[in-house]
Amino acid sequence: MSEVIVITSGKGGVGKTTTTANVGTGLAQLNKKVVLIDTDIGLRNLDVVMGLENRIVYNLVDVIEGNCRMKQALIKDKRYPNLSLLPSAQTRDKSAVSPEQMIKLIDELREEFDYILLDCPAGIEQGFKNAIAGADRALVVTTPEVSAIRDADRIIGLLGAHEVKQTELIVNRLRMDMVKRGDMMNINDVTDILAIDLIGAVPDDEQIVISTNQGEPLVGSDCLAGKAFENICHRILGEEVPFLDLEIKSSVWGKLKEIFKKN
Amino acid sequence: MSNPVMLKSNKYGINLILDSSMDFEELLDCILKRFKDSEGFFKNAKMAVSFEGRKLTQEEEFRIVETITDNTSVNIICILDNDALKEELIRQKIERFEEEQAGRTGEFYKGTLRSGQVLDCETSVIILGDINPGAKVISKGNIVVLGALKGNAYAGANGNEQAFVAALDMDPIQIKIGDIIGRSADKAPLAVKKRGRKQQAAPEPQVAIVKDGNIYIEPITKGLLNSI
Repeated sequence: MSEVIVITSGKGGVGKTTTTANVGTGLAQLNKKVVLIDTDIGLRNLDVVMGLENRIVYNLVDVIEGNCRMKQALIKDKRYPNLSLLPSAQTRDKSAVSPEQMIKLIDELREEFDYILLDCPAGIEQGFKNAIAGADRALVVTTPEVSAIRDADRIIGLLGAHEVKQTELIVNRLRMDMVKRGDMMNINDVTDILAIDLIGAVPDDEQIVISTNQGEPLVGSDCLAGKAFENICHRILGEEVPFLDLEIKSSVWGKLKEIFKKN
Repeated sequence: MSNPVMLKSNKYGINLILDSSMDFEELLDCILKRFKDSEGFFKNAKMAVSFEGRKLTQEEEFRIVETITDNTSVNIICILDNDALKEELIRQKIERFEEEQAGRTGEFYKGTLRSGQVLDCETSVIILGDINPGAKVISKGNIVVLGALKGNAYAGANGNEQAFVAALDMDPIQIKIGDIIGRSADKAPLAVKKRGRKQQAAPEPQVAIVKDGNIYIEPITKGLLNSI
């Protein structure tokens, strides 16, 4: 039985595309057949983050308009053969697709894949409606900032109204040093406001920036963010995984610095 | 044939499908009768006619037209040739002409093409600016970029594999010439150039051509220019 998961946030720039790329790659690493769909028509990014931009010939709109077959538009990932990407069109806009067409397209993919991940555009207009139309489950990404949480709250309400059965939260870009100082909300503050199940917390990590620029998702790598995404994948599969300890363990160098600071 | 004269409408007017064996005078009467019968429908219509099913001399064609126009209110503007072979020949001629024109004539485009923009040209095109990632140039002829080509270029869009793509800074995502697609090697986007490599070699003008069914990108040399 395949599952359709939409990754959404309302606010832009909180990490939807990065999350989609990493969760998709992570699920593929766990031997699931996964397809990622970029629904951000006109502002496509997922192909760049996945490092597959140079392989695009056909796209989502071509499939929907019948210019090509589904097989022709799906791009096989260069690292994992069981991972595919359906890129979005760059020269069109959100009105090129309707929610009904998305549902039909997703139903076609259900036969072949275990997980269908939809990268949702920012906003709550047509693009959002297209993305959530066929979804069984939603991952709402937010950062620990008031504005992002406000938008996430609105999105959770809309998802409920559109009868998406299961909605879970990812808190992205946590900076434990700031949380410690009391300058940033901690995970509990966020979950208190939004009152939905937390499926993962991802620390702010330089490695993420490097990995997105290089088009190589970092899930499964040694850094904390990579671990966090890996854990999210396990939780999506229904496994119980304890949350990471995000406390920064000071290195020898860090300790030395602290000593000097004190003096 | 049960009906010696059949009328079929087409894009421009009426196609008359005529019996091939009947005596001409007799046929003429049949045609007239047919038009008279449907005069109410054709009333004052202006149309072009074409004939099918029977070889007619020019004189016979004129007599048919005359009979129709004299005896009914139908206005026949012209007679169209309905010769499939001729049509095919004309089509080929026009296409070849277009192809040659596409290779020989060109237009200029001034400005940078940004992500999502598409420039579609019937002829060759010279772009005074850059093609950014996500932008696309399509031309039935050749493409010359006086700037950086970082997006997609599609030359010889009507299937001409002799077309070429040239750029001062050649760094495309995809190049398509005729029906052959070439894509860039997998590498990190240029955004993450390491520091210390500041003095990168100045970009060299390059040209992409089709050789043995593959797309090759080579520096522009005299020898290469002579061969294309």
